[in-house]
Amino acid sequence: MKISVDRDRCEGYGVCAEVAPDLLHLDDDGELVVDVEDLTPEQTETAASAARVCPVAALSLRDAG
Amino acid sequence: MTIASAPPHSDVDLFSDEVLLDPYPVYARLREMGAAVRLDALDRVWALTRYDHIRAADGDWQTFSSDASVGLNEVINARLVGSILGSDPPWHDKLRAVLMAQLSPRSIRRITDYVEEAADRLVDSLVERGRFDAVPDLATVLPLTVVFDLIGLPESGRGNMIRWADAMFTIFGPLNDRTRAGVQIIPEMYEWLGTLQAEDLRPGSMGRSIFDVAGEQGFDHHQCVKLLATYVTAGMDTTINAISNAVALFAEHPDQWDAVRADPGLIPSAFNEVLRYESPVLAFARRVTRDVVIDGVEVPGGDQVVLLFGSGNRDERHYPDPDRFDVRRNPVDHLSFGYGIHTCAGQALARIEGHAILRALSERIRRFHTGEPKRHLNNVVRGLESLPVEIET
Repeated sequence: MKISVDRDRCEGYGVCAEVAPDLLHLDDDGELVVDVEDLTPEQTETAASAARVCPVAALSLRDAG
Repeated sequence: MTIASAPPHSDVDLFSDEVLLDPYPVYARLREMGAAVRLDALDRVWALTRYDHIRAADGDWQTFSSDASVGLNEVINARLVGSILGSDPPWHDKLRAVLMAQLSPRSIRRITDYVEEAADRLVDSLVERGRFDAVPDLATVLPLTVVFDLIGLPESGRGNMIRWADAMFTIFGPLNDRTRAGVQIIPEMYEWLGTLQAEDLRPGSMGRSIFDVAGEQGFDHHQCVKLLATYVTAGMDTTINAISNAVALFAEHPDQWDAVRADPGLIPSAFNEVLRYESPVLAFARRVTRDVVIDGVEVPGGDQVVLLFGSGNRDERHYPDPDRFDVRRNPVDHLSFGYGIHTCAGQALARIEGHAILRALSERIRRFHTGEPKRHLNNVVRGLESLPVEIET
């Protein structure tokens, strides 16, 4: 699985990065960066939590490939 | 999914003084009855009581429309036509982009130092006094100062703004005495805002930027004034009550205050918990655009649903032991800012203000001893009128 960011929706709250600091972070400009391309099953679970807490529902999980 | 033969319903008036004074036992009963409970006191209105269903409704604007539907009376809904709160995409997205250019976390973080310093100065002056009223002397001061500065508004409206913002929120309720009184007050605010031209707003301010982009966005003066009103009123009662509620809660739970003082890293979690425990906005409505089945109950298309954020935040199905105030809980997914396309546009600013105040207080004050709080009743906002405090440093 991969984390997909809807850039039109993302407003840069960074709540996802608080929940999944190993998978996502805000860069110096406050833009969201996805740090892990292909998620392990364990990471997928964390990523799902991160997607769930996004205030603007900008994150989703997509099948890799 | 089976359809229940008789949908759950209740004759409770969620906007009566009795319920507003202590809504949580009533919310708990409604949550027990069902995720969607029809309210007999209103015409074709349902309460959404549980966390999952409120969040799902907030996340589905196509089914749960805001278009002239966020309030529970026709006066407010007519007024909200075309506003950011009372519209759906694509018009909504255009207005939101204008606000977010100024209010997004990326844009707003540059003012963090300014807010931190303002919080330090304010708390220093209160510590010197030793006793004060946490509502007018503390909670009201920071948001009012910050919002007027950021929007670049002239000082002439400052003395009335709290009363105007309170009226702007209360009129989202059904047409009761509070709403009728609020409706009388609102024109005063628009009269004042309506006199403002671009040059009355400080250059480089958020307010001025609305007028700056008006040409390219095709906004007329009236639309600029409406956006100004959104900016200024949304940032008042909400943050003010969050701060008052925080002081009341930490006075009541000294062990939780000790925990924050011992570990300032808990401040963001503690602020989330304050917002979960006492949602400043208790409820907004939506209108279902088609027949929907909610937890086995059919809600007919065209009916309104009231999203009871204050109930969802206390839903035992989502938060274990929900009536316990716990600064370590970090409920990042609380409903107090809403969710989805209408999620609070000012939440990054609210967090900066809330964190700054909690930090400034926790660095200086060991204990709050509070006198009898006086609740301020508003149809949709939960807050205090007065909270006498004596502090130990």
